[in-house]
Amino acid sequence: MSALEVFAALLLLLGGFFFLSGTVGLLRFPDTLSRLHAVTKADNLGLGLILLGVAVHGANLVLAAKLLLIWMLALLAASFSAHLVARSHLRDEASRDG
Amino acid sequence: MGELVGWVFDGLLALSLVLLAARVVASARLFESIVLFIVFGLLMAIAWARLAAPHLALAEAAIGAGITGALLLSTFREIVTDQPPSAEAPKVLVYRLRVLMALLAGGVFAVLGWALLSIEVPAGPAAGEQARALVARTGVDDAVTAVLLDFRAYDTLLEMGVLLLAVLGARAAVAAQPPASGDDLWIGGEGDTPMVGALVGLLSPLIIIVAGYLLWVGAYGPGGAFQAGAVLAALGVLLRLTGRLVPLPRAGAFQRGVLVMGLAVFSLAGLLTMATGRAFLQYPEGLAYPMILVIEVALTLSIALPLVLLFSGSAGIAAGRSQHSP
Amino acid sequence: MSQPALFVLIAAAVFAIGVYGLLSRPQLVRRILALNLMGNGVFLLLVAFARRNPETIDPVPHAMVLTGIVIAVSATAFALAIVRHLYRQTGEVSLGEDRPR
Repeated sequence: MSALEVFAALLLLLGGFFFLSGTVGLLRFPDTLSRLHAVTKADNLGLGLILLGVAVHGANLVLAAKLLLIWMLALLAASFSAHLVARSHLRDEASRDG
Repeated sequence: MGELVGWVFDGLLALSLVLLAARVVASARLFESIVLFIVFGLLMAIAWARLAAPHLALAEAAIGAGITGALLLSTFREIVTDQPPSAEAPKVLVYRLRVLMALLAGGVFAVLGWALLSIEVPAGPAAGEQARALVARTGVDDAVTAVLLDFRAYDTLLEMGVLLLAVLGARAAVAAQPPASGDDLWIGGEGDTPMVGALVGLLSPLIIIVAGYLLWVGAYGPGGAFQAGAVLAALGVLLRLTGRLVPLPRAGAFQRGVLVMGLAVFSLAGLLTMATGRAFLQYPEGLAYPMILVIEVALTLSIALPLVLLFSGSAGIAAGRSQHSP
Repeated sequence: MSQPALFVLIAAAVFAIGVYGLLSRPQLVRRILALNLMGNGVFLLLVAFARRNPETIDPVPHAMVLTGIVIAVSATAFALAIVRHLYRQTGEVSLGEDRPR
């Protein structure tokens, strides 16, 4: 294995670790907001690292640009859905308390 | 090493698919079942990729998981009554019979699969050459597109008929008794958030570009009318959810035209080929590619609109902000 | 065991689970989910069949499954529309003979 491949493999493993910790957070954290926090933060970083690993392994600019676009779209979707979930959670809480 | 990783991956995928399917059936809460079914669809997309079927991976992610999931969730919103499991457990005999039936069905299925896999493959480079020459004659380089729009164009034509029938049937059910509240799908609630406008503004042009790309690339790679239509339909679902599209009790002439366009253009192409003394949908040499392209554009629109209407649960849709908006 | 054989086994398992769900859960949306699982089993079988020769991939089953996916979503949408209609008319989400008495 070349140095580049080792580097790519390290990035993939690190990305997998972040995904794993995000999922553990999702399963173990007590309430909606902290679960959301765990999933969005850790998974987005994990996905970024994995895509970076794939880009390093592919060593191809067009491929890297496509992967970057995918990451951006995933970030957009994640932030939007996290926002909506949090909002609906807060509204539910407000209607319960009020 | 690579092969071993592949086997481990396939094994994990197999385990996940089977466990997810079991949870979809066994889960006590309907909402959980629906969400797990969507996850099942996404893993199916990975399975298609593993089986070297990128066309199907694209279609599954957009249609199987995306549109079907949206349809199931919008139905769940309306039917919130989660039927409690019936008070008395089924009789032991009934339960055993069900398990027996399921095992029998699975067994027959496995034997059938084994029989299929042991069919002799036309081997050697000659068969491959022959197939490639056939595909090249259609004017498109992608074998799956060639099958869909040329060799087995009948299938695709009738499929458009089925989609149209589904829309008409659903419309009859809706027309008989429209939903109580007019715009039940809008997620904005009592006020838009700035995020919604930003998301719609960013995604809409991008989705249209992606749909156009998928349609175009279908001639020589994974893509085509189905995937492009599904992606466009996803845009429709997004706009319907954010109140940019509102339901109409009746479809205008334009929307009716788009609904039947795929079927009409396809049939017309078939009749034209017959008029020139060929078989139904046997394209003349040299004209195959332009004809397929025209048909595919019509199909894309006639796949996207029915899916949006089915999600919307209305006979028509119109642009406009929902009446809830500030 | 080859890769297609593994996927045929998954397909059979998913199909059997779908049959069990169809028989055991009277709630109509669940029946629709179970039918979709069975359909996915059949699709997996067809695509595994297309890959029986690792060198060339048969495009015909791929095209058939692509058609099948669109048909499945049409049928699902139609079935869901009928379920909604039934619910609006009667407030029930299962068929008469399946309701607990």
